[in-house]
Amino acid sequence: MSTTLLNQEHHERFDRLQLAALVGLMIIGTLFVYSATMANPVMAAVPWYDQAWLRQLVWYALGIGAGAALCLLDYHILARWSFVAYWATIFCLFVVLIPHIGSMRFGARRWIDLGPFQFQPSEFAKLAFILALAHFLSRPADELRLPGNFWKGIGLLLLPFALTLKEPDLGSALVLLPTGLVMMYVAGTPKRYLLKLVGAVGLLAALFLVDVVFVPPGWWQISMEPYQRDRLLVYFGRNYTDFASPNAAPAQLQRLRQQQLDDAYNVRQALISVGSGGLTGKGWRQGTQNALGYLPRAVAHNDFIFSVIAEEEGFVGSLLVLALYALVLFTGLRIAGQARDRLGRLVAVGVVTLIFSHVFINIGMNIRIMPVTGVPLPLLSYGGSSVLGSLIAVGLMQNVHIYRKGY
Amino acid sequence: MLIFDELKKNDPQLRLVAVVLASGLAVLLAGLWWVQIVSAREYESHLETQSYRTVRIPAVRGKILDRNGRVLAENHPQYNLGLYLDDLRKQFDAAYGQSLARMRTVQEQRIAAEEKKLGHPLTKVERRQFALTPEQREQLHEQARFRVASDVVRQVSERLGQPLQLNAAVFDRHYEARRALPYPLLTNLDNTQIARFEEQYTGTLGLNLDLQPVRIYPFGKTAGHLLGYLQRDDSSKQGEDAYFNYYLPDYRGMVGIEAGCDAELRGRAGTEAVLVNNLGYRQSVNILNPSEPGQNVVLTLDMDIEEAATQSLERQQGADVRAAVVVMDVRTGDVLAMVSSPSVDPDYAANDPAYLADPKLRPQINRATQENYAPGSIFKPIVGLAALEAGLDPNAIVDNPGYVYVGRRHITDLAPPGQYNLRRAIIFSSNTYFITVGLRAGIENLVRMAEKFHFGERTGLPTRQETPGIFPTSKQVSSTDWHDGDSANICIGQGEMAVTPMQMAVAYAAIANGGTILWPRLVERIEPQGPASGEAVINYPTAVVRDHLGVDARHLKILRDAMLAETQEGTGQAAQVAGLQICGKTGTAQVMNSRNQEIDRTTWFASFAPYENPRYAVVVMMEGRTFWGATCAAIAHDIYGEIVKKANPGAPKNLARAN
Repeated sequence: MSTTLLNQEHHERFDRLQLAALVGLMIIGTLFVYSATMANPVMAAVPWYDQAWLRQLVWYALGIGAGAALCLLDYHILARWSFVAYWATIFCLFVVLIPHIGSMRFGARRWIDLGPFQFQPSEFAKLAFILALAHFLSRPADELRLPGNFWKGIGLLLLPFALTLKEPDLGSALVLLPTGLVMMYVAGTPKRYLLKLVGAVGLLAALFLVDVVFVPPGWWQISMEPYQRDRLLVYFGRNYTDFASPNAAPAQLQRLRQQQLDDAYNVRQALISVGSGGLTGKGWRQGTQNALGYLPRAVAHNDFIFSVIAEEEGFVGSLLVLALYALVLFTGLRIAGQARDRLGRLVAVGVVTLIFSHVFINIGMNIRIMPVTGVPLPLLSYGGSSVLGSLIAVGLMQNVHIYRKGY
Repeated sequence: MLIFDELKKNDPQLRLVAVVLASGLAVLLAGLWWVQIVSAREYESHLETQSYRTVRIPAVRGKILDRNGRVLAENHPQYNLGLYLDDLRKQFDAAYGQSLARMRTVQEQRIAAEEKKLGHPLTKVERRQFALTPEQREQLHEQARFRVASDVVRQVSERLGQPLQLNAAVFDRHYEARRALPYPLLTNLDNTQIARFEEQYTGTLGLNLDLQPVRIYPFGKTAGHLLGYLQRDDSSKQGEDAYFNYYLPDYRGMVGIEAGCDAELRGRAGTEAVLVNNLGYRQSVNILNPSEPGQNVVLTLDMDIEEAATQSLERQQGADVRAAVVVMDVRTGDVLAMVSSPSVDPDYAANDPAYLADPKLRPQINRATQENYAPGSIFKPIVGLAALEAGLDPNAIVDNPGYVYVGRRHITDLAPPGQYNLRRAIIFSSNTYFITVGLRAGIENLVRMAEKFHFGERTGLPTRQETPGIFPTSKQVSSTDWHDGDSANICIGQGEMAVTPMQMAVAYAAIANGGTILWPRLVERIEPQGPASGEAVINYPTAVVRDHLGVDARHLKILRDAMLAETQEGTGQAAQVAGLQICGKTGTAQVMNSRNQEIDRTTWFASFAPYENPRYAVVVMMEGRTFWGATCAAIAHDIYGEIVKKANPGAPKNLARAN
């Protein structure tokens, strides 16, 4: 089977436009991971074979390999194993929460240490979730009218959502919501269920935000990590001092103000980077925000890689990145439209929505239309799990394309 | 076309998803457009304010030169050794790492001890009390930085052979406030130190020599009053950037030429932008706005004469003598010398503050222009001129019994009793004669004459050291409060009037040059520092006429003849110089206190030469009760001697006559 798939005559089976866009994104990713890390003298001093851009290239290669390998099997076969994958990732998500297994970084337990590298189960949980939900929703539309099936679907969504939230990884949890919702919608879940669901989610989200942003201390508050609350407060422009106890000393208020400035720092520096890029940018490796370390070095090459691109290539560069993502997304929708069956259609739509959610949240936080959450930019942000996950997701989409109608 | 494909298929769900995706991307696009295109400038300015520190770079101050190009004030390069903190960052970090490791070991030992005491491993919460607080970390950082910097300083100290000490508090303050600038380690290195540094340290990280111009005055205290002094002032003047993060030392003239020509001397300060990283360390430096050097000021002063006058005063009367000398070119108004004693050092910090504050010596005032003095007898030629113009016959005889009564007031006359005409009265300085003819001519005529001489008005020098003097107006003298006694005082240069030595020089120059009152000129021209700069030279016009006396030339000749006789036969003989005929007049005025007791005297010698074709006016004034006219004339003698020597170095005896 493998020989036939890789045969020359079958080459046009891939969606070449999408692949071209992906290659474009990977080139940009390599270039700007290079630019973002080489400006840092500490990172630049690392031997070449250990540098971030090369590691990123290796991850690309591994990801392409994994994605291609997935294309060897018909997605129906994959779907049959999807619940195994789903429960395996759920298991991993549990395991990562256990203190001595999941490794702690930046106050969150998101990684499983495997010696030479660490992996982030939430990245793979997203994929397993898409596959499992698609498999579940691909049953005849009539069955979806049953409330039991609706609630099973919700359960499939909430389990990884809650576990990821617990890590805590708000961003990765949040992207599951639109992905699940859109898949359910496209599968043909009755409107009344969906409207209720959207209403309930909206209401909960609103209550949550009101609690976090407006309720003074002393009242009942949702328990969450302090930094998460702070990020939301920063996003909604609230003063920390409003949340201090009424008899706080001036020194403490001053400390809160300083802390607010520090917390707002990333957002502010990202905005300055993006804004000062202007129309055409400062040129590759010429961005001062990154080079001088104003853009925090820990995040410049991963969560805030877009700021580096936007600063160095300007609006033109931003436009190019958006255009490449648009190509990936709309070719994805085309794949969904041409899919052989509802399973393929749901897998493609799920992957498209997942990528879109990442792109929207990540770029949005760079220009302050979204709060800061640790969501990587697919294929551009440095990071093995994210790159592998993205490429495997794209592989799934290509798989649907390969086994589309008429083939 | 991709979206349209979907639309054609009439697939409502996918169509909605496509619309949502497209609008999401459109929102991002709009946001990016807003941030990167519409608000780009705003964010650029944010970027600049956070990553640039501007430094004000003062311009190189212009020189001050005398009329022959001799330098009175210039700048010398001073080499300062600076410690560049940005180069030491790695060492700071390494040192911090070491102290942190050491600290951790200590903490581990303490934890182990604690565990032993409690008999069980500490829990997480219990361990927390052994963690380092941010304050402790900051303190470790501070100590690490100080250790690294002290090491460097100790090495430098050994190699340069100069004991150096780093003050922790000062160093830390510099680190916090001026991190982007080098820390000044050693100022004003001498040549040996510079050589040693260049041998051993060129290219070494963290150390560099910075150049800073320092103002020096090669003539020391000579002409110190005239030059004035500078004071630290970093503020910007018009046409310069107003706000800077850092200022390098700049100076502003407070008084004298340094103040009067400050705008020209100072030039325009420039701006240097230091790019700093997020920790505030210097990354690179570029000049945003180069400074424009100040211009040179060329004075009319002749330093030979200035020095001769200064040295003569010091040699004959000592450095503490309260005196002033003005030498002026009677044809052009050029001030050739202006001396005030006791002298001050234009390098203000070099002066002894106690000496400066001495209430009797008052070294800070420029006695040539800044203080009111009664002219005494040297005012008599002007009284004589007013009387002549009012119709006095110069040969008419006035009988001097040795005193004169004005009303019931008795005024003694030190001139020997006898019969006096104008000539004799000037030679012997007869009070009786001048009071008699002055009162006869009328005080109104005297006031009118004084107005033409512009007594009671400033002479318009740029030094900011001028007093206008005092002279009654015609309104004052016509009031009922004015008595003949007051007029009599004016006739002998006392009472309700006061002059400055500069005013007397202008007046005597007018008598010498045929009746033209000139504006004294102190600044000859202002020229660019570098001849290549292409800036225009500003020449100040010479011989600018302020007024004409409009008197009969014969009357002036009568005065000149009498004043020539005074230095040949009278009290001014001490001024005589071989080969030069000098016209002069001595004078002594009493300084009275409010109870009409003499507390001091002002002694004068006012003169001009050569008699045939006058060129130089020399006025010497001294304060003190031990002096008399000849004391001042002796100073004038030295000055004329220098003039003669200068005019004909080959044949000093006959030079002046050639004029």
